[in-house]
Amino acid sequence: MKKRLWIMAAALMLPLAAWAMSLDEAKSQGLLGEQPNGFLGVVKATPEAVALAQDINQKRREAYLKIAQKNGISLEQVAALAGQKAIERTPKGQYVKTPEGQWLQK
Amino acid sequence: MKLVLAGVAVLGLSACSPRVALEAPKEPITINLNVKIEHEIRVKVDKDLDALFQDQSELFGGSSQ
Repeated sequence: MKKRLWIMAAALMLPLAAWAMSLDEAKSQGLLGEQPNGFLGVVKATPEAVALAQDINQKRREAYLKIAQKNGISLEQVAALAGQKAIERTPKGQYVKTPEGQWLQK
Repeated sequence: MKLVLAGVAVLGLSACSPRVALEAPKEPITINLNVKIEHEIRVKVDKDLDALFQDQSELFGGSSQ
């Protein structure tokens, strides 16, 4: 009986992974946007969007750090350049944050 | 599944809610951050970042761009 419960629990967990949101989905749904500091910001907080932003921002930080160390500049400088690039590349309709801290829909 | 349906319903509702008319800006939004870095390093970092955006598109999205 207990075993069956475990199997049912596991079966219930599976679809969760399949429903995990992609970054493009979160951005096009207006949940996440690019910030000048090079990291994702949460425009509209849903648990899934917040978790996704945290996960990706952690990975971005690691990537920025590598580039910073390679070129002998600070993490913040790399991140700011990345932020500028990410904002430039953001397609129309998605959110970007101004240096003043305001969310704008491009 | 129910949760997903509820989520879809909520999305549907929010799509129908009255929307404040926002006029699209006529000029493209340009945000100048004035990052001060030596030019040569800036070019190199720029290249590294381009590679990063390309190779790790899941971190930045817009792989179709």
